Amino acid sequence: MAFDIVKYTRASDAVGWADLDFDEFERNPLPEHTLRSLRYMCDVEYHTVCYLRDMLTTPSHKEPEIAAFMTMWNREEFWHGEALAAVLERHGIHVDYSALKAKRLKLGFKDRLDPIKQSFGSNLIGLDFAAVHMAWGAANEWSANAAYHRLAALEGSEHPVLAELLKRIAQQETKHVAFYATQARERLAKSKKARVIARFALRKFWGPVGSTIAEPDEVKHVMGHLFQGSEGRKLVRGIDTHIARLPGLDGLTIVENSLEARGITAEDLEPTPEPAAA
Amino acid sequence: MTTNDEATTVAPATTVFDVSEFARTAKGYHRDEIDLSEFEKHGLEPDAARLVRVLRDLERSTMARMRNLLVTATHKDARVTAFLSTWAYEKFWLADALDAVLEASRAEEDLPADEGHHRLTASERRDRRGTIRRAISANFAGPQIVAAHVTAGLADEWITQAAYRRLSSIAGTLSTVVDTALQVKDRHLRFFQEEAERRLAASPKARRLSRTELLGTAWPIGAVERPAEERSFFERIVFGGAEGREEARGIGALISALPGMTGVGNSIEAKLVP
Repeated sequence: MAFDIVKYTRASDAVGWADLDFDEFERNPLPEHTLRSLRYMCDVEYHTVCYLRDMLTTPSHKEPEIAAFMTMWNREEFWHGEALAAVLERHGIHVDYSALKAKRLKLGFKDRLDPIKQSFGSNLIGLDFAAVHMAWGAANEWSANAAYHRLAALEGSEHPVLAELLKRIAQQETKHVAFYATQARERLAKSKKARVIARFALRKFWGPVGSTIAEPDEVKHVMGHLFQGSEGRKLVRGIDTHIARLPGLDGLTIVENSLEARGITAEDLEPTPEPAAA
Repeated sequence: MTTNDEATTVAPATTVFDVSEFARTAKGYHRDEIDLSEFEKHGLEPDAARLVRVLRDLERSTMARMRNLLVTATHKDARVTAFLSTWAYEKFWLADALDAVLEASRAEEDLPADEGHHRLTASERRDRRGTIRRAISANFAGPQIVAAHVTAGLADEWITQAAYRRLSSIAGTLSTVVDTALQVKDRHLRFFQEEAERRLAASPKARRLSRTELLGTAWPIGAVERPAEERSFFERIVFGGAEGREEARGIGALISALPGMTGVGNSIEAKLVP
């Protein structure tokens, strides 16, 4: 299925929330564990530009269609960050540029793709790497999409305003998925070398989106919150199924493995009781 | 024709560029504002068409510029990266508007091919150096390298805005497109100006790195990847002639007036004038 880049760029817009009643968050605030997950998601969205940086060090950006997509994608993700920051703001959590800068300086954004490049050295040239980049991006976008839908489902009955915002964000993520998956499918199909490298890179180096910029405890919290239990595991297997359908990636279960490695299981745990109010 | 729009000299102390507001009011898709039938009917004269092509390709090279900025410490500055996300978006749509004009006028078919060899001087070769060398040298430079990037961005805005004004004077039919472009680019200029003045005033290292960056850059930014023929055309059409030389002198003076940039403007002026 072809991805219509002209149609996509023309429709690309900042996610809107002016019509949503955010006063609702003051009447009925979100619970602590949800705010913690939103903070993580907000950081990830704002840091998209850091992922963009990784990708721009590969030759992919010289192709006009990819450059056009990257421009729109980067801006849409920035606005997802703004939207989530606006929700957090209503709960007294202030995310501003200096806080983000401090975070980037403190954690030292690790270049995820660096080890891969080092592993392959000069073999990693040109179009083959674009295929890896696209497969990697597809895995990330499928995960992000699932995460937003899952959080919307978890909070939907109590907090319909949040659910609506998350649904809007997820709609844009669906288009990103379409772009990355289409590109990955075509490019992997064309090159055996690309298939071998992509399989190796994803199996060995992929981690949940955000795991390079957040503390391990935060990663574990978010993954547990969203994906612990049978329902979460079903979604995660869905993501893995999508990834495994890409040429050369059959049998991979990278998302499920990354959760198992963090102790997030398919077991339905009793919800931890909220501490009694003093 | 003036080289110094009053709006471009506002001091950062009195106006703080609001990045959130800029992002919120980004300008995209311009094709509906342009009367393309005019170009379909009357075409576009060759010099104007060729300059449109140069400007389109420069506006389009944002991802290459983003790469050069983001592999350095610039990517850690969230305010700058927030600006750059919207800046790239706006430039994408400026390139698209110029592309629409070229398509409608069908003028591109008659232009000389825009391929051929690059300029081969040592400094140009240095400017073309790859991402890895850039990342390594910028790692030694540290966070003050951001000053060099915003100062170069500012000089680049002064130069390309002069080119847009020149475009409007050689083809009156382009005035709507040019006005749109200048409006969009004015905010880019204001951001770069405020950031450059603030950062240059604050740090000797920022001034040193910026001098080196400005003296080593082929102007306008992105030109280094363009064929030598197209570069010569650009310099001739924009900065040739008495008015063009005046324009270049004005830009040189603006650059030299920045903190620590004494004399840098003269060198850039000399590069611009054919």
